[in-house]
Amino acid sequence: MTEFTRRDFIGVAAATTLLPRVSYAQSSQVIVGTWGGDYGDLLREGVDQAIMVPQGIEVLQDVSGPVPRRTKLMAERQNRRGSMDVACLADFDMFTATELGALEELDEQNVPRMGNVFPFLRKSHSIPQIYSAHTIVYNTDRITTPPKSIHDLWDPKYRGKVGLSDFLFTTNTAFAAIAGGGSMTDFAPAKKKLMEWRSLDAKVLASTEAVAAAFKSEEIWMTIIAAARGYMWNEAGIPLGHVIAEEGAFPTVYEAAVPRNARNKENGLKYLDAMLEPAAQTAFAAKMGYVPTVSDAILDPELDKRINFTEAEKERFWRPDFAYLAKYQAEMLDFWNRDFKG
Amino acid sequence: MRKHETAVFILPAGLLVCALLGVPMLMMARISLNHYDPMVLMVEALTAENYLRAVTDPYYQQVLMVTLGVALSSTVLTLLLAFPAAYWLSRMESRWKSTVTILTLFPLLVGNVVRSAGWIALLGNDGLINATLQEAGFIVGPLRLLYTPGAVIVGIVGVVLPYMVLTLSAVIEGIPRQVEEAAGNLGARPLTVFRRVVLPLATPGVVAGSVLVFILCMNAYATPVLLGGPQFQMMAPAVYDQFSRVSNWPFGAALAFILLIVTLLMTVVGSAALSRKYRAA
Repeated sequence: MTEFTRRDFIGVAAATTLLPRVSYAQSSQVIVGTWGGDYGDLLREGVDQAIMVPQGIEVLQDVSGPVPRRTKLMAERQNRRGSMDVACLADFDMFTATELGALEELDEQNVPRMGNVFPFLRKSHSIPQIYSAHTIVYNTDRITTPPKSIHDLWDPKYRGKVGLSDFLFTTNTAFAAIAGGGSMTDFAPAKKKLMEWRSLDAKVLASTEAVAAAFKSEEIWMTIIAAARGYMWNEAGIPLGHVIAEEGAFPTVYEAAVPRNARNKENGLKYLDAMLEPAAQTAFAAKMGYVPTVSDAILDPELDKRINFTEAEKERFWRPDFAYLAKYQAEMLDFWNRDFKG
Repeated sequence: MRKHETAVFILPAGLLVCALLGVPMLMMARISLNHYDPMVLMVEALTAENYLRAVTDPYYQQVLMVTLGVALSSTVLTLLLAFPAAYWLSRMESRWKSTVTILTLFPLLVGNVVRSAGWIALLGNDGLINATLQEAGFIVGPLRLLYTPGAVIVGIVGVVLPYMVLTLSAVIEGIPRQVEEAAGNLGARPLTVFRRVVLPLATPGVVAGSVLVFILCMNAYATPVLLGGPQFQMMAPAVYDQFSRVSNWPFGAALAFILLIVTLLMTVVGSAALSRKYRAA
């Protein structure tokens, strides 16, 4: 009969506790914290199935809204192991996560395709996956002369016909700040312009979907929203166009990063690289109207004309100061809720 | 029933409540005493600043008042609408009684969001009511029906009505019909029978139904957001705003506890007052 001493027992027990970790580390899996809907589907088709699965890596989507995902990233940052290998978030949320040291540093060594990213979108701890700009989107049937300036949003001839998404209070406040003579680090002038909007009966719409419905019913003729949204709704049959005003527009970038405590860091980095592949990028452009972030993703000329921005337009993009936005966001929401909407 | 038997019966539910409600609430209470920082989101502290801000800020006072106003109006309206229906249902002797009871429950099978979508289709500027009135030539432009406090109250009443009807009918069913007949034989008019006999005996149902409905109204989220529009603020959406839009968990938690305390106080005071009034009657 085999002798089983106390020492053997402790040894086996210790080895057993290591087993799950070893198998976890070796498993070819990557957990991607992402949005669902079209976004999740496009990732599944263009990245998961097309690039990751052929490499023998299984992709599990952890679908949620951005708020729980951001919160999870923040709350887990002190843990030895996080629950996501890739986190997809908008630029503002990603900035906060970067500042808190929650993300792995990226460069061409660990994400080779970072070299193809447009310099103006490049960051140290995240990849820009897709981008567009929050700008003036308008009904082309009702407004036959395209707006040129953001001041057109305050033109009395559009009284009651300007809609503002409640969800985009930061962007709307940024436009009001610029119109009032402020800058990306001085939103104080926004207050006066927001109250002017109020006196011009600007409509506050509860959600992005409500903006689409208001455009469809012609309750509104003009709004501030991502040019990509304008494209999507245009594809759905609403006569819409967009302009980058002479004062500029507010860029919006959807990004992805690998948490520092990711269990499958290597696979996470491979996933980021795959997200930057031209085929994956162009699929998002065709379906959602967001512009590729890499120089070698070539769009169909017709699509490019509708969703992309000229060099002159890109030059006019504002450079949001995320530290300033983070510091004053609560104050902005307070003013938006109690004074502008109240 | 012996004491240990009672303990066995309440243990599973008690443990569940402790685990799923008590512990998270304790955590929330702790969070509400932390300090908010826009970058790190939450700094460990033991400060009352969030509670002070919530109770002294006129804006949140106003939000709380609106919430109380909507909740009280909806509760009273629900009671007025539900009582006749519950009385009729409880006195029903037809073989269709169980079918009608199930029909009363039917609205609960439809989620609040879906129900609100129905109200939007009805009350919107290009909704059924406005379209019909415009078609008939009664109005030129659309009436503003949606995104008003009235729309929120109507929407909430639609949600909570079944709770009140079922609570009241269960109690009214327990009132012997002979009691009403005796009052009638003694010369009491129907209204007097209702006021002096039925209503006092139905007080437990009125109190239970009103408390249940009031709590649901105070905590309403989807209906105020969808039917009240972005300019209409009640407490539950204000709490959500703090958590989701600016990640201010400490202030959001403080607002949630204030909502809880006010609801609890109103419930205790209201049910005591109602009981006393009808017991005296």
